[in-house]
Amino acid sequence: MDLLLSYLTIGLVNGSFYAMLCLGLALIFGLLNILNMAHGVFYMMGAFVAWAAVTRLGIGYLPALGAAALGIGAFGMLVERLLLRRTYDLDPLYGFMLTFGMATAIQGAFQVEFGSTGLPFETPDWLSGLIDLGFTLFPAYRLWVVFVALAVCLGLWAVIDRTKAGATLRAASENGVIASALGVRIPVVMTATFGIGAMLAGLAGALAAPIYQVSPLMGSDILLVVFAIIVIGGMGSIGGTILAAYCLALIESVTLAVYPQATNFMTFAFMCIVLSIRPQGLFGIPVLRDHSFAGLSLPAVSDVGAERLSQMTRIAVITIIIMALAILPKLLYPIFLIKIFCFAILATSFNFLLGFAGIISFGQAALYGTAAYVTAYALKQWSAPPEVGILAGVAAATLLGLVMGALAIRRRGIYQAMITLAVAQMVYFVFVQASFTHGEDGLQNVPRGVLFGLIDLRNDLSVYALTAIAFCAVFFGLRRLLCSQLGMMFVAVRDDERRALSLGHDAALLKLLAFGIASCCSGFAGALSAVAFQLATLSGAHWHLSGEAVLMSLIGGIGTLTGPLAGAAVLVAMEHFLSPFGAWVLVLQGSIFMICVLAFRDGLVPRVASIWTKVVRDRLLPSFVAAEPVKEVGNS
Amino acid sequence: MLEAPALQPRAALVISGLRGWYGDFQALFGIDFHVGEGEVVVLVGRNGAGKSTILRAIMGLLARHTGKVMLYGQNAGALRSSERARLGFGYCPEERAIFASLTVAENLALPQLLGPNVMSDDEIFELFPNLKARARHLGGQLSGGEQQMLAIARILRSGARTLLLDEPTEGLAPIIIRQIEDAITALKRRGYTILLVEQNLAFALRLADRVIAIENGLVGDQCQVGCFESTERRLSRYLAL
Repeated sequence: MDLLLSYLTIGLVNGSFYAMLCLGLALIFGLLNILNMAHGVFYMMGAFVAWAAVTRLGIGYLPALGAAALGIGAFGMLVERLLLRRTYDLDPLYGFMLTFGMATAIQGAFQVEFGSTGLPFETPDWLSGLIDLGFTLFPAYRLWVVFVALAVCLGLWAVIDRTKAGATLRAASENGVIASALGVRIPVVMTATFGIGAMLAGLAGALAAPIYQVSPLMGSDILLVVFAIIVIGGMGSIGGTILAAYCLALIESVTLAVYPQATNFMTFAFMCIVLSIRPQGLFGIPVLRDHSFAGLSLPAVSDVGAERLSQMTRIAVITIIIMALAILPKLLYPIFLIKIFCFAILATSFNFLLGFAGIISFGQAALYGTAAYVTAYALKQWSAPPEVGILAGVAAATLLGLVMGALAIRRRGIYQAMITLAVAQMVYFVFVQASFTHGEDGLQNVPRGVLFGLIDLRNDLSVYALTAIAFCAVFFGLRRLLCSQLGMMFVAVRDDERRALSLGHDAALLKLLAFGIASCCSGFAGALSAVAFQLATLSGAHWHLSGEAVLMSLIGGIGTLTGPLAGAAVLVAMEHFLSPFGAWVLVLQGSIFMICVLAFRDGLVPRVASIWTKVVRDRLLPSFVAAEPVKEVGNS
Repeated sequence: MLEAPALQPRAALVISGLRGWYGDFQALFGIDFHVGEGEVVVLVGRNGAGKSTILRAIMGLLARHTGKVMLYGQNAGALRSSERARLGFGYCPEERAIFASLTVAENLALPQLLGPNVMSDDEIFELFPNLKARARHLGGQLSGGEQQMLAIARILRSGARTLLLDEPTEGLAPIIIRQIEDAITALKRRGYTILLVEQNLAFALRLADRVIAIENGLVGDQCQVGCFESTERRLSRYLAL
């Protein structure tokens, strides 16, 4: 009994951190409609500011706490003013991606400076020791954490609920336009709110510093737990969010006492249960503000190339593709190209989902990783032929994808992103715990085998051919699909679900089908990677890979079919050529992400296409054609 | 020297060359008119003529618009809508847009207070007695009529002297319309400048000093409200289908 109570106190402490992070995230999301992916980084930076203030500047613990809160708050305001403000007129997806890029870059920069191991942070003397609560001995510092967190959260709740400033914030969240017409300066409210959210995260990080070690990675995994809590709580009310945070932390701690292996898993499992019973979350109001992709310029079906190519052009295009594919391995390493194709298939699955089904999935890596593990396991343990292994991997990923999809399609937009992220994280934790994955080592030295009993895949070139053909199959298969009636039904549901419903289409089934198709593609990419690189590791299932898939789509052009290939090529090349710089790759990747969102939103492929139409088709070709008759007149 | 004729009130609001767009679609094609201080002007016209769009453009809520919006000699045309509100505009939108998650009292307390003209809570409750009993209720719990009263009360609380009211009678019961009419009459007596968009012509003509007919994003006609009959006949061209 005492043991359980002491576990519950752990839950209370974790709940305090969750509550502070959730509250900030929910405030920001409510007003700015941005899912702040940099929140975990703010938390981490808060810990570092406090650490630096104590160890480098030698100031006391309390001033360091204040410095962390105010410093991160100020940093947040700066970020909002300089960067986020530019995305308000766009789809919320861009704010999400911008903060994701920022989080990657900042985390990378801290890793460059401090490495990935934790730095110790001393508990201040006056808070060290134990306090006897009667039933258990409680470390004084943890009690202090709970006290501060509760005071801050409840205080903020009171301010928002009771004061005029709070009413202004609530009004601006509900209807910013009308609040503005009543004289409320929305930009100021936005900056202040973002600053307060960042401040809470910074304070939470500084409070956490003595309990956990100060490390650049400390914010990365807690963020996903916080997303899950927000989905569970439902962001309907501030009190509900705080309550959900503490409840979830308590559930987590009970699990820790009963079955420690499932601790990380528990919150996400709970999220799945809540979502299937109450999609709006425990305290959520039904259909709050799930956005549709109004601000995102998504392609019409005709953009995919529904226009019929003439027989001659078609033959020419196919010939060029075959020749290019044949020449490429002479110019570049086959392994390099294989990686591009694998990632391109992965990114295509994300891009297909977002562009043509209006579903945003941030969990594609889980499917990729699952397929990689299953294929690798089949090849290695059962000595299955590669085609069977790949098939098994794809089947596993598709099944998992259907489960993930069934949960994700219950909400739209940013919520969907959170749900897929959380489900993916749950899968990741299963892989971390399960024995067959061999933990950090992963499955290595997977035999490639002989495809169909004919093609020896031990040769890199034949694997290259396999992945190239696989990409072409996915590309042309999806292209064909989108030109079909089913493709149009996907697009109809994407554009207006209710209208599609009123026309008799089963929107949920269509969305699930789209998710299944995309999962199949992601799984294909993962299975191929297991064969090609002869390994399956945790990094293949980590959400960072999902982020890379989004980045590839963004660089190449969201909602295009060729974009992911271009994006994958850029990203793989970057990783390849920048690998000597170590952790700087993250900084660079994050910065490119941000630049893409801010200045280069339409992506490479649409950009090139518009240059092609403007310069070549409209200017060069007409003058070329016009020049011909003149010549002929001269000849005759 | 001769003084300016006392009968001609000085202009509170002067609109000139107002053009507005929804995306690529142009809705306003150069609107010019003025509203004198203390005058009640009604904009009439068919659905889609651009009446509400004019109010939205004056308030700075239309994403793209050009032209001059002068309030007592200050050009508000390039300001953000929050700054226009601070100049002295009070806007009551067609959909009322009461903050459903705020109480009535909070809805009333929300606007920025603009100096000496602020109407006290007591005065507001005198004007709209229904609201008094509802002060602690959430905005979302009010009836349509109460929401409309709150939407008007909210801008009076700010101290705005130039009111832009978009179809205050839409969808309301006759008895509520009567109350709204009484309230607007009281405001007129107190010297508020009112620009009203209204489909209910009988209601509009009872209140208006002057009527401006809007057609296809342009001013079609304007006339003083004198004889009720003749005005109605003259305007019917702009309202008939």
